[in-house]
Amino acid sequence: MGQTVIRAATDVGGTFTDLVCFEIDSETGQSHVRTAKSSTTPPDYEQGVLDVLSRGDVDLAAVGFLAHGTTVVINALTERKGVKVGLIATEGFRDTLEIARGNRPDFFNLHYVKPKPFVPRYLRRELPGRISYLGQETARLDLDPLPGILDDFRADGVEAVAICFLHSYANSSHEEAAEAEVRRLWPEIPVVSSHSIAREWREYERTNTTVLSAYVQPAAERYLHRLRDGLSARGFRGQPYVMQSNCGIDSLESAARVPITMIESGPSSGIWAAAELGRLIGDTNVIALDIGGTTAKCALIENGNVRIVTDYWIERDRKSAGYPVMVPVVDLVEIGNGGGSIAWVDEFGKLHVGPHSAGAVPGPASYGKGGTDATTTDANLWLGRINKDYFCGGETEADMGAAGKAIAEVGAKLGVGADEAARGIVRIANNNMVNALKLVSLNRGFDPREFTMVAFGGGGGMHSVALAQELGVSKLVIPADASVFSAWGMIMSDLRRDYISTHLMELSEAAAADIENALAATEKTAKAQFGAEGVSPERLAFQRFGKFRYQNQEHTTEIELEGGPVVPAGIDAIRERFQAAYEREYTYRLNAPVEMVGIHVTATAEVGRVQMKRREATRSDGAAAVKGVRAVDYALDGVHEATIYEGPRLAPGMEFSGPAIIEDPGSTVVVHPGNAVRIDGYGNIIIEIRN
Amino acid sequence: MEQTRNDPITLEIIQNSLQAAADEMFAAMRKTAMSSIIYEVLDMGTGILDPKGEIASSGAGIPAFIGVLDKSVKVIIEKFSQPGDVQPGDVFATNDPYYGGVTHLNDIVVMMPVYAGDRLIAWTANIAHHSDVGGMAPGSLTGEAVSIIQEGLRLPAVKIIEQGEPIAPVMDVIRVNSRMPDVLEGDLWAAIASVRIGARRLTALAEKYGTATFAAAIESFMEFGERASLAALAQLPQGLFELTEEQDNGQFYNVKIGISKDRFTVDLRDNPDQLAGPLNASRDGVMVAAQMIFKSLTDPYTPANGGSFRPIELLTREGSVFHAKEPAPLGFYYELELRVYDVMWRCLAKHMPDRLAAGHFASVCGTFIGGIHPDTGRQYTVIEPQLGGWGAAPGADGNTAMFCGFHGETYNCPAEINEARNGLAVDRMELNTAPGGEGKFMGGRGIVMDYRVRSESGFLTAGYTRSKFPAWGVAGGHDGSPNYIEFIPREGERQSFAGVSGLATGKDDVIRVFTGSGGGFGDPRERERSKVEQDLRDGLISGATAREVFGL
Repeated sequence: MGQTVIRAATDVGGTFTDLVCFEIDSETGQSHVRTAKSSTTPPDYEQGVLDVLSRGDVDLAAVGFLAHGTTVVINALTERKGVKVGLIATEGFRDTLEIARGNRPDFFNLHYVKPKPFVPRYLRRELPGRISYLGQETARLDLDPLPGILDDFRADGVEAVAICFLHSYANSSHEEAAEAEVRRLWPEIPVVSSHSIAREWREYERTNTTVLSAYVQPAAERYLHRLRDGLSARGFRGQPYVMQSNCGIDSLESAARVPITMIESGPSSGIWAAAELGRLIGDTNVIALDIGGTTAKCALIENGNVRIVTDYWIERDRKSAGYPVMVPVVDLVEIGNGGGSIAWVDEFGKLHVGPHSAGAVPGPASYGKGGTDATTTDANLWLGRINKDYFCGGETEADMGAAGKAIAEVGAKLGVGADEAARGIVRIANNNMVNALKLVSLNRGFDPREFTMVAFGGGGGMHSVALAQELGVSKLVIPADASVFSAWGMIMSDLRRDYISTHLMELSEAAAADIENALAATEKTAKAQFGAEGVSPERLAFQRFGKFRYQNQEHTTEIELEGGPVVPAGIDAIRERFQAAYEREYTYRLNAPVEMVGIHVTATAEVGRVQMKRREATRSDGAAAVKGVRAVDYALDGVHEATIYEGPRLAPGMEFSGPAIIEDPGSTVVVHPGNAVRIDGYGNIIIEIRN
Repeated sequence: MEQTRNDPITLEIIQNSLQAAADEMFAAMRKTAMSSIIYEVLDMGTGILDPKGEIASSGAGIPAFIGVLDKSVKVIIEKFSQPGDVQPGDVFATNDPYYGGVTHLNDIVVMMPVYAGDRLIAWTANIAHHSDVGGMAPGSLTGEAVSIIQEGLRLPAVKIIEQGEPIAPVMDVIRVNSRMPDVLEGDLWAAIASVRIGARRLTALAEKYGTATFAAAIESFMEFGERASLAALAQLPQGLFELTEEQDNGQFYNVKIGISKDRFTVDLRDNPDQLAGPLNASRDGVMVAAQMIFKSLTDPYTPANGGSFRPIELLTREGSVFHAKEPAPLGFYYELELRVYDVMWRCLAKHMPDRLAAGHFASVCGTFIGGIHPDTGRQYTVIEPQLGGWGAAPGADGNTAMFCGFHGETYNCPAEINEARNGLAVDRMELNTAPGGEGKFMGGRGIVMDYRVRSESGFLTAGYTRSKFPAWGVAGGHDGSPNYIEFIPREGERQSFAGVSGLATGKDDVIRVFTGSGGGFGDPRERERSKVEQDLRDGLISGATAREVFGL
């Protein structure tokens, strides 16, 4: 026996706060996982975290690593529970926040409602002073009006100040000066300047991001600081980390300064887990698919890298323009399609599934809590894909009567019976997900047949075989312990920051030095920032990317700049890599000059990652894990007698084939006829899809 | 999985996949285009059509382009009707309204036949505004044109790619006719990529489900569109409605709309003769305007397809402004289409206020600014529609700063990008607080925007409407405020106008754009007091207006 390393992850969700604690023997690599759950405690979220740690009996003094994920930021935004923000903008541009971009996605609807700005006009004020797009001062910043503005803000009860000036991505001196003056005049007020969050052009997107950040700042900062204090009072001696939207973790202090970067921390830990799992099993090209109760999310991982972008919106769909948030977020597609998604028939007899969800209350009809809408879960239950005698891990009795009635009602509107309606629901739900999966793969020029699919979340195993078949994916992995998979991603994360900034220049030999300087300066900034937090430069690993386009274009293609410093002799190779990537995605290349629009540098530092150990595998047919046989309706693949396997009894080396069902307390894996299953040395379920 | 399967779920899945393919075509075009009018303003549209050229599915973009593509494809089908005329890998183009181009010469429609094996199963197509297609003026649009010949290169429904190989002479001709050949070429290739990507998806879809099922899905989708339209049409008040409205240019436009259970008839025969200048529209273009108002009235929430528009009947008189004859110029067709759209809207609004709000600023406010970028020395051309105010409806204030009804998923150009790309200074972009649009519910606000020119020898062209007669109020709501431009030269007199062609601009001249508020709804004195106080506090109305108009 070696030393035991304890790594814990806590996650604050809308209803529950979860704990996953890994106790790992540093010599054998064997890990023991403990989980606990307690209620989320708004508005004092830290209490729920401390509660769940004591409920899980975690000895904080012995914990070597503690990561924390939270939906607090996204919830504060969507529930409009932030503070009153005052905005200071460049003279002539206070209305940028309200003008937005003028787009109307729901274009035949003449009653479209434009999203309302988070700061009303009377709290949007201006200061004279201009910086050009080249970063040169063209008009002096005049701070004289500032005291009067702040007096008005005080009188109006403003609780946080946002500052966003034009072209601050190119030169932040005006924002810095204004911010310093606000702090001097009003030391208690939280102030957020755009340059400390986003260093890219597009003033509306940057202004809105700054405003939303200020909007959630006081509450998020207070909560993170109370969490820090509560943890140390209970004996925790380490540095707590916070999961970010870029698939990395950051220090609690840094997260408290710019909490908006936590906006998509939940999905990002799951996607990172898929990337890590891929690395572990030797598949670095992965399509990650996370199917939950209300949504499904997917992302593409190429060569072990997740794609990080800054064009992210909240509340955006075909009906609304939403609000942009220009922070580094893992590039994912999310659709309103999960286990609880409601099936409905429109007035013209067309069947739809989602985006509305039955939620936790009343939940799907089969929960027997008064739900009358048929959901995807009800359809899966009706078709025998979910075991009615082992519903929700045996904790709830499936109300087959309610499920049948709800599905029959859908069928009546379609003119078919319940069985046919249930198959229809599953097929439509699958098709919605297939279209989302195509968005992250085929639409970007990637052939899904060259990728391994990693499916997780409560509904991952239920639908992923059918989806993989449809896309031609040949290898599907359902992780060993799907219920703690996201938490595992959190503890496997590195300290990571993404520095993305606008630098417009031609891609030419003459510009090589400028490109190199921009990259090196960013790395220097990163080293200084991390250094100030006790992370020494030699622990940092950098990845460099450039954003390129043909001259006159707007949108860019990001290319990794590998192989050391950018030098004149290397420019042709960069141009060729851009052209090849461009052609893959868009089918053609041009004989036109290429421009660099910006750079993207990632700085990562390991914070002691866990080495997972492979278990001894012995070949067997899985008979030891069989719990029975039942008829299962595989929709298009027909009804078959499927062998039912008990998930917890599966052991490395077991092999069997479909039709089969694997039942876990938290999830069900539906294996179609003809597919081969094997359990790998880590306990993962590997399904070979035979198309 | 190769058997034919015509169950409703399979058909639905194919229909969803068609929508996804049209969206993907749109995204590809957007990301690769070189003109800001395409990639930012998204003055473009994508669609999938059946083998006969009927719209099966349309992508995002602007609603005014959805009803264009079918008309273009039908002209190609008619012109290339002999065996071998249309082959796998071919790509066709038209931009001429007299040859299926519908709009004006700047808009090039690119079309590709889609095959499964050797069987034609569909067409993919897109349309986009190109920055310069030649002609007498930079940007190809000018109020001075008296013939379409002066408005640029005409592509009268021609093949540009044969079985995958670009037809070099045609491509060369297109390129050499533009003042911005690189940009035109880049944008054209973006369009070609878009139709190819769509075609690839459709072929895969037809191969998976079988061509018969694929065709059945499209057919049933169109039937669904028609059923949806007819069901909603039956809910509208029936009868004959008529309106005559005076225009900024002194003309009177007349519309008669007949609504019955299964027919929506628009009669535009009683209208002025076509003009010598470019404020004319093709019959196809006017049909698009009728389709748009019809779709918004009947079924705004489901995607449009050929079936959706079947109940429409359009009557026009050849030789009138709404049915121009060759060689009438059509450059500013969009303002005219928007006028007829707005007149139809107004004609019906008072009879169905729950469906139609008060008038909006209702002009594209197309603003064309060109010159030399002072920092790069390169030629630039700004082609920008402007944001303005929308009308109030019972229960809701109008939206502020949105593109007009002809645009949809369209984005304005950020000042930061405008300054970098075009070398103009944008000194302000703010809400226009001019009086107008007062009501129990307020019209939304337009904008004021200053472009300051930074180099000599530039030009300005614009053609705004609703300048003399602003957006109309309803039920006692006040009319909105006007759309116009104020030109403030560094030296000399300020001038104000709604239209100008090729005005010379120099360093530090300011082009100030004003767009109007939408019309108000209801008596301003009935507006909730707390809302009047909030408007006052937000500086959207003056103290005098609060007292005198709202009675605060």
